[in-house]
Parts: sequence; structure tokens; C-alpha cells
Amino acid sequence: MSDERTISLPVLGQIDRRTAVKGIGATLGLGAFGVAISPLARMREQLSAEELMQKHYKELTPEDKEAVFARLEREAKDQYGADVSIHDPQPIPGVRFGYAINLSVCNGNGKCVEACHKENNHDRDTNQSYIRVFEMPKGTTDFEHGNTTYTHDVPREGHYYLPVQCFQCENPPCVDVCPVEATWQEDDGIVVVDYNWCIGCRYCQAACPYHARRFNWKKPTIPAEEVNPDQGYLSNRVRPQGVVEKCHFCLHRTREGRMPACLEACPTGARIFGNMLDPDSEIRWVLKNKRVFVLKEELGARPTLFYFFD
Amino acid sequence: MSHHQPSAAPGAPADKGSHWANYPRFLWRSLVMATDGGLPFYAWMTFLTAVALVGANAWALQVVDGMIHTNMTDHVSWGIYIANFTFMVGVAAGGVMMVIPGYLYRDKDMHDVVILGELLAIAAIVMCLLFVTVDLGRPDRFWHLIPGLGRFNFPISMLTWDVIVLNGYLLLNLHICGYLLYIRYLGRTPNPRWYVPFVMISIVWAISIHTVTAFLYSGLGGRPFWNTALLAPRFLASAFVAGPAFLIVTMFVLRRLARVDIPDRPIQLLVQIVRVTVLINLLMLGSELFTEFYTGGSHTTHATYLFFGLHGHNALVPWMWTAVALNVVSAALFLLPAAMRNMWLLCAACVLAFVGIWIEKGMGLIIPGFVPSTLHELVEYLPSSIEWRVSAGIWAFGLMIYTVSLKIAIPIMRGDVVLGRDGSRKK
Amino acid sequence: MPRVKPWIFLSLAVALGAGAAIGRVHLSNSVGTPVADAGRAESAAAGAVAPAGGAYGVFVSLPDGPPRVHTGEHDAMGRPVTVSCVSCHTSMEPNLARRTAADPPMQFHQGLTYAHGQLSCVSCHNPHDYNTLRLADGAAVPYPEVMTMCSQCHAPQARDWTYGAHGGMTGYWDLSRGARHRKSCIDCHDPHAPAFPSMTPTFKPVDRFLTPHRTGGAHE
Repeated sequence: MSDERTISLPVLGQIDRRTAVKGIGATLGLGAFGVAISPLARMREQLSAEELMQKHYKELTPEDKEAVFARLEREAKDQYGADVSIHDPQPIPGVRFGYAINLSVCNGNGKCVEACHKENNHDRDTNQSYIRVFEMPKGTTDFEHGNTTYTHDVPREGHYYLPVQCFQCENPPCVDVCPVEATWQEDDGIVVVDYNWCIGCRYCQAACPYHARRFNWKKPTIPAEEVNPDQGYLSNRVRPQGVVEKCHFCLHRTREGRMPACLEACPTGARIFGNMLDPDSEIRWVLKNKRVFVLKEELGARPTLFYFFD
Repeated sequence: MSHHQPSAAPGAPADKGSHWANYPRFLWRSLVMATDGGLPFYAWMTFLTAVALVGANAWALQVVDGMIHTNMTDHVSWGIYIANFTFMVGVAAGGVMMVIPGYLYRDKDMHDVVILGELLAIAAIVMCLLFVTVDLGRPDRFWHLIPGLGRFNFPISMLTWDVIVLNGYLLLNLHICGYLLYIRYLGRTPNPRWYVPFVMISIVWAISIHTVTAFLYSGLGGRPFWNTALLAPRFLASAFVAGPAFLIVTMFVLRRLARVDIPDRPIQLLVQIVRVTVLINLLMLGSELFTEFYTGGSHTTHATYLFFGLHGHNALVPWMWTAVALNVVSAALFLLPAAMRNMWLLCAACVLAFVGIWIEKGMGLIIPGFVPSTLHELVEYLPSSIEWRVSAGIWAFGLMIYTVSLKIAIPIMRGDVVLGRDGSRKK
Repeated sequence: MPRVKPWIFLSLAVALGAGAAIGRVHLSNSVGTPVADAGRAESAAAGAVAPAGGAYGVFVSLPDGPPRVHTGEHDAMGRPVTVSCVSCHTSMEPNLARRTAADPPMQFHQGLTYAHGQLSCVSCHNPHDYNTLRLADGAAVPYPEVMTMCSQCHAPQARDWTYGAHGGMTGYWDLSRGARHRKSCIDCHDPHAPAFPSMTPTFKPVDRFLTPHRTGGAHE
């Protein structure tokens, strides 16, 4: 250290040339830092104090929820020009949802992918959807041989089609890894995400063995007239940028007794949905009478979306 | 950097004031020392500041517009940020290879320079935390991760373990370094009661940070490339190459550029350590590769992609073979006694090992975990310009922290800067 | 599970009985409005059978009567002119061997694609009463019960349909909250060429960096 001065206290009045230069340097540095991070100022219009301080879904009182939903509806109007209604249907007691897909019937036309896209207010630029349909050569279930980008007429000779979406696992690895409990399993088996609590670390994407989760790499774009106004807080409301989302079995529909959008859209009738706890339900009949299987059963995640061949 | 025990006896001015008065003096003195230096120092710091600012700007853009600015996708959902994070946890843990001989085996020479390792741990952990932060889609919700404030999914989520061990390791090293420097600044002899127990904890803790970080990945059943019990041992082995390699180069630079008097012995001891760890690392890498390729099957596709490319996709192949070459050449150099006697060759070996491991356990570990995806779709990843800028910015910031902390620590540890005799060089 | 079991002889009536037993499916007389051509309306419950555990019914889209055939002409309002089957068939001798519309050529039914196994026209159409269909045992079946016709051969599908495991549907899974609308066999399968038609996928994700698959390429 070549500094020859004696400084006993950080007091003014001892400023020499060197200190002054340092001060100027520090000021310049801070100024440059301010300029460097100045794009953050644009965040202010997108990020309200209420949103910043919003509590976890499970900690919201009914009054809190009312205020939050009203704010989200306002934001949908401001940012998307759409009049939406956000509600929060709860799991129906005695209901555990199950889903089955008949792979002998599915022909890979992708109507379910599109229905999901529209129902769930996905980003229009990326054709985002919770469903991916794999074209697989007959004789294998190894995805190594599958492909999702086919555009030829279907079904193609010698191939079958395998739609993949969130399996709402009974033992979901994605829920385990979330550091902030932003995702959890509800009583009806649906794994949901609080889009206003997720920090966007994407650990759940790494943990999911089924590529079921999507991240909002940017703010979704949807024309006002295409916004589906029937929205659930934990389901299809337009997601914020930077959070993870996933299939929720259309809980805003299914918790009101309706079928999921992908099922209604399926022109081949390959999809069977219902309450696994109801012994008379269609899904129970399928589980009992068809040779159903799940993907990657050995991982122990215990999916509740099943496949079968006739 | 030999210790001149301060001659300050009880009754010296240093002992007079209370800590309330002395600690601010210590901080102020540290600030002065941290900002004093010659032209090369200012040039170096200006350069680092510029790079860090470029990084900060890139990050600000990423926060505002979204991570669409990165080349990450739903298929490859972690990229160079998490790759760097993983590597830097290793560097932080690697510093312990000075602490163990310095404290456990009471190696006198190592004990004198051990603070280099502890300060490196601080800088590396700060970098780790920054790399995780810039990887967050919603940094504004960072507080959700704070136990008590947010909702902390402990002990189920390994990421919460990582939050605890990384911040704990940071605090431990801040305490150890801060205590030692402050007490030396006061001109006193540090009381072992106030730091040795923390040093002992930090040794175990260093192992834990890298083990937990490995468990982040190895616990994921859906990612066969990571789902191996060997991952944590591999992480430790490579950490104990990269950390010491960085420290050897640091000591070399300090000797040459800052004319700090560092004995040969700690360097030689670190070389001995790296000689072993570099081989263990290669052995474990070899074991993994044998198991992967001899077994075959669809779980091998990740390793195939990494080393040979898959279905015409081979973005990582040149990276990985570079890493293999660097690791093998550096291992060979470390094992050649003649090479180790030449300081330049030694440094070259260290740099090769450091870069080799940066690739191997950074991009070479994280990206193939995602390629092909869990549903075997092939989407490749190479960092975007924004990602490079942010990463470079964090590296620059980490180096700034390390430079500044060395600037403060070395004179104090040497006994040159003592309260009441500030600036008066002891000769 | 053997593919063919007693189900093979299951008539739709039996199937519907089973359906009603699980409280999901019930059919009754058509009350729908006739539609020109193959008139079709949903067969409404009309309160005949109350589904167990639910206040709402299951509605199946079924024809309300015999189809009508286009003449190719249009009336003054521009509407297509259709005629009933019996307009011609009362005065025509049935050709029991006929399997296609083209050989020998017919005046009507031109352009009818026919691909349904080895069946002839009268395998399903009743040559004694063209306003009905005819089962293999000779019994006449009215058009709204066309699924009985299909079920006599396609028993596994009929069984699966009965239990809700075959065929498209919309509406409510929970019949205590709303009604369900189901497709019948002929909504998806043209009885004259029942193979499900080829389709063109129209909606594909636009993933960044996911290079389109090369059909027949290496990644097969």
C-alpha cells in the first residue's frame, strides 16, 4: 500500500486529489450502472405493487382473492383489451380425475392441440399448447423413433399417434422440486401452478419426465377477440411472462362438470375422461376392461392419464 | 506473504477504542485500500467494470422483454447460466483444498495463505447466487425464496437445500475472513475460539455445497444423463481440480504482478492435490462413459449426442472433445515432475484444467441432460449473445470482488496495515 | 380379454339396456327436426329414462328417419330437390347382388363411394321396405336405430361405445351438472365407406430451434 496519509475516521475535510478522483470514478461508475439497468424502468408499467407483494394462493383470504381477480381482470382489459371473467372453481369432493387415450383410434390430426391452444389462451406466436402429438412407427414405444413435426396427411401407413400432455401424476416430481411451493397437487389430482407465485427457476421443467411443462419465455400475445374470457385463476388465465405453466385438465371446465377442451375437439373420439372414484364412470370402465399403460411407469410418478390400444 | 506478528502489545492504541469505533475505521480503511493502486490495477478494474456493466445491461433487457432473449427453450430449459452456476459451486468448494491442509494438518505455509482460498469461496459463491438470479424468470419474486417471508419447500426441494448451503457457506467464509482481517487490523492475534470452529464447519460445508448441487441433478429420475450416483463424487473431484488450479494461478499472478511474497510450499502442496484429483476426475468420467456406452440403449443418447452428435445434431461435440483434450493434457502435465518445476508450464496446466472442467461440468453436463428431451425431441442449444454478455458480466463482477478482497486482505495479513499505524509501511 | 365374446350378438337394444343400467346412455323416439338429405337430429331423452345419479341426459345424434336422395335439381328458392327412397324403389325390382353404384351403372346414387367389406346394398337396406334397414336375421330396423344395424357386426365397438369408450362427445362428464351429447356410429363413419377418413394436420407448434422432421430421414 503506497498510501501515505493517515485516515482515522471517514470524515470529510481530508479530501485530497486521489480521493477526489476516486469519488469521480465511483460517481461515473454508479451513473453507468444506472444507465446499464435503465431498461428495468419499463417494468414499472407492467408490474404493480399489489402484484409484487401478492401472497401465495393458499394464503389468500376470500377478500384477497376477490381483489386479486379484479386486478387480473383489469390487467387483461388494459394489456389485451379483453373483457374476461376470472373465477376459481374448487375441486369437487369425491372426484379424482382420470384420462385415457385410445391409441388405436387417435390419428394424429392435432385438433386437440389446437383446441388446447385456443381454450387456454396460449401465445399465438408460438402456437403454444399443452399437448404434443408424436407420430410413432408401429412396433415401438421408444420416443427416439417419434416425431412431432410431421405435416403429411394422417394416419400414415405403419404409424400410430401418441398425444402427450401433463399426466397429473399422483407422485409428481415437478411438485417435489419446486423451491417455493408454487405448484402443488389438488384434491382432484390436478397439479396446478400459481402463476403469481412462480419465480421461474424452471427446476420443475427439468424434473418432469414427460415434457409437460411450458415456460413463458415472453409475454404471450393474443388478439383481443381471440381471448377466451372464461378463465380460471389456476388454469387458463393469460399467464405472466417468466413463469411456468402446464396442462390443468381444463379445471375451469372440468370442475364445473364439463369435458376438457381437447376431448370435445377430438374428431376420432379417442379421449375418455371422468371421475376415477365413480365406479360407473367411463374412465373406470376403461381402466377395468382395457389393457391400459402409462409412459415411463418405472419412474414411479404414477400418471393418471392412461393409454390403451383396442 | 509471511506474517510479521504485529508487535502491538496490550496497551497499544489499537486496543483502546471500542469495536463500535474501530469497525467503521476498519471498513473505511478497507475501502481506501480496495480503491488504491497503480495504473495496471485501475486498468484492470475499469475493464472489469465495463464488462460487468455490459452484463448488467443485458440482464436488464432480459428481465424486461423476457427470457426469449436467451436461446433456452422448453426443450433445453437450463443453459449457460446454470452451467456456470454448477461450475462456480465447484470453484467455491475447491478453496477448501487449502483450508484442509492449513487447519486440519496445520501446514504452516498453507495456513499463511489460506485466506486466498476463503476469499475465492466468497467471490465464487456470490457468482453462484448471481448466476441463479439471472436464470430466474421472475427475479422480482426473489423474496418467495426467503424462509419465513416466502414459502420454502424444505426439505423436499433440493433447491431449498442449495439456498441454505450456499448462503451458509457464504456467511461462514465472510465471518472467517472478516474476523481474521479485522482482528489483524486491530493488531491483535486472532482468538481461535472465534474462527477455528467455523473453519472446521466450513470444511464439511464445502463438501456439502457441491454434494447438494449434484443432488439437484442426480435426483431427477426423468433425466438419465444426470441420474447417476457418481455425479456428486465427480463434482467434488472436478471441484478439487478447478479450485486449486485457480488458486495456483492466483498465487503465481500475485507473485509476478503484485510482488507478493508467497512461498513455494503451498503451491507445491496444491500441485500434489491436483495430481490426485485430476486422475480421480478422469477415472470417474471414464467409468461413467463406460457404463453409458457399453450398456447402450436409449439412455445413452445423451452421451452420444455430447460426444458424437445425434442424427446430424452436433453443436456440443467440438466443446466436449476440447474439454477432453484439455483435461488429458493438463493431467499429463501435472504428472510430469519436470513440467511442474516450470512455473509457466504449471500455470498452463492449471488453465487447461480449469477451462476443461468449465466445459465438462458446465455446458457438457447441463445441456446433454436436455438433449434429446425427455420425449427424445432434438432441440439444440448454444448461448445467445445476451447470455454470453450476462455470463461475462458475472465473471467480471466475481473477479472484481476477488481482486478487491485480495487488495484488502494481503496487506492486512502481512501486517502492513494496522489500526493507528495506517499507511506506515512496516519494513 | 378375448376380442369376441357374447357381445358379438349384442343388439343395440341390449347395449342400450346395459347403458341405461350404468346410468349413462338412453335413447328414445326422435323428436328432432328433420333435415334435408340424411335428416339427422339428436335423439332426445324426452324424460323416458332418468339417468341414475344425474338430472341431465345423454343425447345421441341419430337420423330422424329415412334419408332423402338429391335429384341434382334446385327449386325456385335455390334449395336442392330431394326425393325419398320409395319414390323410385317401389317401382323397381331390387338387384340383390349389387355392390356398387357404378357396375352396372345406376341412374341415381352416382358418385357414391362404396367400401364396406363384402356387403351388398341389401345387406343393410331392406328390399321389402326401403324406408327401413334390415338386420342379418331379416328383421326390419327403422333408420333412427341405425346403431343396431352397425352393432350386429361391430360388437366390440358397440360395447365400447355403450360404456363411453368409443366415439366423440361433448358436454358434461358429470351428468348431475349438465347434459352430454354423443356422436353415433354414422357421424364419424360413412356407412358406405366406414373407414375413418384421412386428415391433414393443420395446427403445429412453432417451437424455436426445433428443426422440422425429415420424413424418411435419419431420425426414424
